Amino acid sequence: MEYKKFQAFDELSGAVRESVIDLLYRLADDELVIGHRNSEWTGHGPILEADIAFSSMAQDEMGHAQAYYQMLHQLGEADPDTLAFGRKPRQYRCASLVCLPNGDWAFSVLRQFLYDAAETVRLIAFSESTLVPLAQLATKLRGEEKYHLMHGRTWVLKLGNGTEESQKRMQAALDLAYPHALGLFEPTEFDEPLAQAGISPREGELRKQWESAVSPVLADARLRVPDNAKPVYGGRVGKHPEALKQLLDQLQLVYNIDPMAKW
Amino acid sequence: MTDTQWKVFEVFHQQARGEPHVHVGSIHAPDAEMALILAKEQYSRRQACVNLWVVPVEAILPTAYENDDIFERGTDKSYRESWGYKTPKTITASHGATEPRSHEG
Repeated sequence: MEYKKFQAFDELSGAVRESVIDLLYRLADDELVIGHRNSEWTGHGPILEADIAFSSMAQDEMGHAQAYYQMLHQLGEADPDTLAFGRKPRQYRCASLVCLPNGDWAFSVLRQFLYDAAETVRLIAFSESTLVPLAQLATKLRGEEKYHLMHGRTWVLKLGNGTEESQKRMQAALDLAYPHALGLFEPTEFDEPLAQAGISPREGELRKQWESAVSPVLADARLRVPDNAKPVYGGRVGKHPEALKQLLDQLQLVYNIDPMAKW
Repeated sequence: MTDTQWKVFEVFHQQARGEPHVHVGSIHAPDAEMALILAKEQYSRRQACVNLWVVPVEAILPTAYENDDIFERGTDKSYRESWGYKTPKTITASHGATEPRSHEG
């Protein structure tokens, strides 16, 4: 089937336009919140080198969030700063995986791996998107994302195959993270319009690709995927764990002192 | 007391294809693979990079500074220096070499 291409955002209308807006909120909010979570390791990483690499990737994710918020702005939403800092928790569309507190290093690097594997799957799909600005951005972000995945994969393999202690912590991290990671692919009412317009594959399809990407790595790391894990949904419709509110209170603290301040 | 630090790897950075790999510093990592992963952010985030090498520090056999007199020249060896012909700027720049000494007069 030959899809119509959308060269610019102003070519979108109706349900497709609404669906793109929702998609961009999901993407941007995931990036913003994981970026903030990962940045909480700055100054606290297990060693200096690991701290710098993790902090640097957190900056990358913030940059991706900004790019998506910028697209939303082009679609008539508020400016990126207002979108990042000026909303209530229920207005965010991030998945629960990115909201969870950092826990130990095992949880943080495992989450980073699961999250960036999902982001990679999306970016590969988006590079073929009929929405040209999204396809162009996806192509631009692929290099950074490739490194993020290498980073996460390397840590997962080292710690899974490390000591008894590291293996145990990684398994505990996976047991906790996996149902939330599945929640990254929460189906929404916007899946159909997006898929039918060739803008993004359906969430179920992306989940399958993600599962085939992460399972061999987890197996090589001697980690067992929890049986019958029940996906944690809700994030895509604004239902979040309490942890998001605490995170946003901190993230928005300075902004809320004077939202009109010029920097 | 056991050493809690990871192994040390020396890092070599290449700015563009065809350029030499230049030593930029060292990094702590449990193994070479992780050293490359961590060196990437440590040493390429502030400058262009196309390739990195990491080398375990044990692989390097250095001369001893107390023997640095082996590099001294007992007699005039200026005839060995390559001042008689021009070195392209790109080579002197990338090797950090100084301009050839002047031997006028």
